[in-house]
Amino acid sequence: MLDFDVISPKTSHELFEVISNSQDKNYRFGAGYTDLINDLNNNLQQNLTVINLAKLNDNNFKAININENGVQIGALVTATQLLENNIIQNNYPVLWEATNSVASGQIRASATIGGNVCQASPSGDMSCALVALKAVCEIIDSKGNIREENISDFFRGVKKTSLKKNEILRSIFVPINISKNIKSGYIKVGTRNSMEIAIASIAYHFQKDEQNNVIDAGYAIGAVAPTIVFTKDACDFILGKNINSLNETDVKQFANLIKKYAKPISDIRASAWYREEVLINLSETILK
Amino acid sequence: MVKELKIIGKSTPKLDAKERVTGKSVYGHDIELPGMLHGMILRTKYPCAKIISIDVSEAKALDGVMCVITAADVDVNQIGYKRDHPIFKSKTVNCNRDEIAAVAATTKEIAKKALSLIKVEYEVKKGIYNPFDALKEDAPKLNEFSHDKFGNKNIGESFHYEHGNIEDQKKLSKVIITKRYETSRVTHCCMATSNITASYSKLDGQLTIWASTQVPFLYQRDVAHALKMEPSKIRIIQPIIGGGFGSKLDMLPFEPICALLSIKTGKPVQLLYSREEEFIASPTRQPMIIDLTTGANENGKFTFREVKITMDNGAYTSWGATTPFVMMQTYSSLYQVPACSFDAKAIYTNNPFAGSFRGYGNPQATYSIETNIDLLAKELGIGKDEIRLINANYKGEITGQGLNFKTCGAIPALKKVIEESKYSQRIKSQISNSKSQESGRYKKGIGLASMLHVGGGAKIYRSDGCGTRLKIDHYGYLTIITGSNEIGQGSETVLAMIAVEELGIPIEKIKVINTDTDVKPWDVGVHASRTSFVAGNSLLGAIKLIKEKLNKQAAKLLCIENSDFIYQNGSMFHDDKEIKIDKVVREMHFGLPNELCVVEYFYEPPSSFQDKEFKGDVSGNYAFASQAIEVEVDTLTGKVKVLNVFVSQDVGRVLNPLALQGQIEGGVATGIGFALTEEMIYKNGMLLNPNFHGYKLLTSMDMPDVNFYPVETYDDAGPYGSKGVGEAPLIPTAAAIANAVADAIGIEFYSLPLSPEKILKALKEKTINKVLSI
Amino acid sequence: MYNMVEINFIINGSKMTKRIKPSTLLVDFIRDDLKLKGTKVGCMEGECGACTIIIDGTAINSCMYLAININGKNVTTIEGLGTVEKPLDLVQEKMIAHGAIQCGFCTSGVVMTTKAFSEKCKNEDKIPTRDEVKKSLEGHLCRCTGYIKIIDAAEAVYKKQ
Repeated sequence: MLDFDVISPKTSHELFEVISNSQDKNYRFGAGYTDLINDLNNNLQQNLTVINLAKLNDNNFKAININENGVQIGALVTATQLLENNIIQNNYPVLWEATNSVASGQIRASATIGGNVCQASPSGDMSCALVALKAVCEIIDSKGNIREENISDFFRGVKKTSLKKNEILRSIFVPINISKNIKSGYIKVGTRNSMEIAIASIAYHFQKDEQNNVIDAGYAIGAVAPTIVFTKDACDFILGKNINSLNETDVKQFANLIKKYAKPISDIRASAWYREEVLINLSETILK
Repeated sequence: MVKELKIIGKSTPKLDAKERVTGKSVYGHDIELPGMLHGMILRTKYPCAKIISIDVSEAKALDGVMCVITAADVDVNQIGYKRDHPIFKSKTVNCNRDEIAAVAATTKEIAKKALSLIKVEYEVKKGIYNPFDALKEDAPKLNEFSHDKFGNKNIGESFHYEHGNIEDQKKLSKVIITKRYETSRVTHCCMATSNITASYSKLDGQLTIWASTQVPFLYQRDVAHALKMEPSKIRIIQPIIGGGFGSKLDMLPFEPICALLSIKTGKPVQLLYSREEEFIASPTRQPMIIDLTTGANENGKFTFREVKITMDNGAYTSWGATTPFVMMQTYSSLYQVPACSFDAKAIYTNNPFAGSFRGYGNPQATYSIETNIDLLAKELGIGKDEIRLINANYKGEITGQGLNFKTCGAIPALKKVIEESKYSQRIKSQISNSKSQESGRYKKGIGLASMLHVGGGAKIYRSDGCGTRLKIDHYGYLTIITGSNEIGQGSETVLAMIAVEELGIPIEKIKVINTDTDVKPWDVGVHASRTSFVAGNSLLGAIKLIKEKLNKQAAKLLCIENSDFIYQNGSMFHDDKEIKIDKVVREMHFGLPNELCVVEYFYEPPSSFQDKEFKGDVSGNYAFASQAIEVEVDTLTGKVKVLNVFVSQDVGRVLNPLALQGQIEGGVATGIGFALTEEMIYKNGMLLNPNFHGYKLLTSMDMPDVNFYPVETYDDAGPYGSKGVGEAPLIPTAAAIANAVADAIGIEFYSLPLSPEKILKALKEKTINKVLSI
Repeated sequence: MYNMVEINFIINGSKMTKRIKPSTLLVDFIRDDLKLKGTKVGCMEGECGACTIIIDGTAINSCMYLAININGKNVTTIEGLGTVEKPLDLVQEKMIAHGAIQCGFCTSGVVMTTKAFSEKCKNEDKIPTRDEVKKSLEGHLCRCTGYIKIIDAAEAVYKKQ
């Protein structure tokens, strides 16, 4: 049975104070709770404090802000809020589709983007899309110092991030598209059509010029390595190429460059062989 | 001529639907009794080990703990139909479910804490998790209570059946096909987890149990045996049951354990499974390895079936071991089979045991037979639809096993799904060249399968009967007290409909009482698709008696000769004379000689008990069905999408179309899960996916359309000509899907489930082989 | 034992104040403290949807929600649908009429999700497609019905309003 104390800061000032005062304590942040409660049920902990972010009233954490450089998404924005945002839907289909594939409507109503990112699961859906979008994490510490870090660098391993104990993820910045001509989407492999944790996932976001030559490429793969991986070599390879008329060799070459990044494991959901196989099969189809 | 009926055949919402849809129904989880304690069970950490010591002293000392019990504290009998299962394990543990101790405490939190304080010292042993390993000579004896009756210490149960002359039929065969089939372990996933509330009174020695059993009278006897009590001292009350599907046919250790906690404390005790516990410690479908050889002659007529089935019995014996009763019917009698030899053995291992599950072995048997038929057709070069029609069961057939098909919808059902699914236009493997030409990522295919199941109960106990008591009160309300049970399938609604039909009493004035063994008359229970059939016939018998009473009294009041009345809208009519039923009843109560408007009736189906060779007409009638299923295989991921399901089933007669369609769709969904997504994954006896994350039930996003075409054969034995329907819809589903996948990609699979990984691997190997052969 | 926390909220139309243990899950609070037993526990891990309730118009899994976070909010459980005059909500009527109930254990949750989704559709003045209806129900496991009757019932709700 769950047994922990809860502190519910209402302002960022209170939040920083709580974080400062909790440095010698065993604490976790609670935002949407859809991962945290399962986590705590499976690993009962003694003397735990949950810093409850549900009551925090700070738009830096809670709002989606759009400016000329991109979209700043507060860490406490829920999956449902993202899905209801037209700018996300129209400009970042990869993020919209990934978010729409998270669990169920009831979970999406509670689950937050910050929670999905900080969970640092190799199969995180929204995280995978954010990696493809080259998102930047805005991290703030209990003294109010802000640092920014590319999301790929933020992930350090299975369930590991670069967050220090006195830090919290405040928001995620997604840079603006440089072209309106995009090819963007999210593919999630699972046994069922819903309620899945990805066996393998692909997030892609290509921006093209008027001739369909790729001018910016984002391609991330999930559930095939300890962290979600940005496949940089493959992205570099595709730059400048016409994505609508790639030849067979280019497609193979692209897939081979992706394969390099895949270091899957076998578990009860799928074997390493299967993960790699579908990853390559599906990577090829995206370009066909 | 089929009689025109008023309500039978018309969609009627469930009698209790309003309570269920408003959250007012009281399930076992919702019961709270004054002073009630919470029980929990400590299960083993290892699937196979010697218990060195059990120390419960710290748990007992915890505030709020009222009782801690282990084998040392109780005087009980072993359970299971083989009596090979101790309720508490004290010397060894033999599978991952094994119960070592139990606690009762004032709160769930304290009970859980107490479990963590019990210290058990184990000496871990290497277990045996494969039935073939258990048959080896050097294998240890895995269940110390087994009787060694079957020639090997680890064979727990064995069946042999045969008819016809196999050797002669082999000589007549043009094609003989031998294959090994394997089916996985799947489980019921009732949405309500297992639960029980037990309340023992020290004053009179009465034990009241609120149990979600499907078989209250058998359960009463089983609990009494386990606890060494007088059965009639035990009252079984069924709360609303959140799903059955066969899982609640056997009494499991947690039930007498909860009763013991109540007996020891003198307080009510409730024990609820968590979802994880439900996966670990509730029944499963019987996994099987099926070695099947079949033959057909040059005309496509089947010649023989020879089958050897190896069942993983787990550590103790439950109903899973008796699934051969049903399977042998399918091997002997699904299609015309001149000769059949059937052997099945249940072999002890250190895995958990299987119980009964909707279909009772038949989905496994049908999967092997129906995929095998496609192979025969392919070898013979005849249509997969044609071979089935050539061999289909027919009206008047008495099969080698003695099943007597007085009515039979096998051919109409087959023809219907073939026609509706456009099977012959769609099946690729029979349309020349189409397969090799098809390219692209997604490949479509279509598969066909049929099934045979009991439709009029199954006489596996000495009685397959059901009792009914009827009472009409002062105000014209009818109370039906039936031995049968409602587990969500809608049987009490059908009973009320029958009463409306016959007595003309409006449905709002009908109550069905069916939850209390102290009140209701004997019935075997909910299984074998029997309830509407047996309880319906029982009710019809009782209605006949109560009509005789009412007719006599009404005739007296109307001063006419005792004759038949027409019953309508709460009144009785004869020519131009009308009298209200409530008035007739009041006259019975008040007039001289005073009497009650109460009758009782016991119905026993006309079926016969099987002889020692397992031959006999075991059911009142038989249900037949066919399914054609269209799938699409994603060749890049191996994922199968079910596009469309066509079901035609001989239901005898449609009683309640709405409920019937619900049974069909629900059955098909479970069948698709069995075929494609569901599997309990074990490693050395431990379950690796005891949650809905890892064990994949279909979701609303996975469910295809289901097109259903009932076949009505108006069987004399069933109420209004009806047959049992509950299990049939899931029986041929996995077989039809396997055939459809084979049609889509040209690869046959011999094990379930057809997981994406299995399919992708096979596709890959096929491509490699193709390349190598060029 | 940690300090009890006071919460103020509206439950099924009535204002209420309670003191609870901070780590109490909402589903336990509803069933064990408020004794509203219509909300069901199917898995306690956000997979089955049996415990779905509505908070400020949004359907959520009450097994994945801390009870303290309903402070200041409007909570509706299955017991809160319907009125004395009209005891069945349209969603419930359609569930009955379409045969969407067998064992009924998943039903409370399904009704609450459909209720929330139907209100949302009504506000946006749209009738969802059948695929959207299926998607809205993805978080509910049902072993009895095969979902088709549930989807039919939900569709009938959206068409009616």
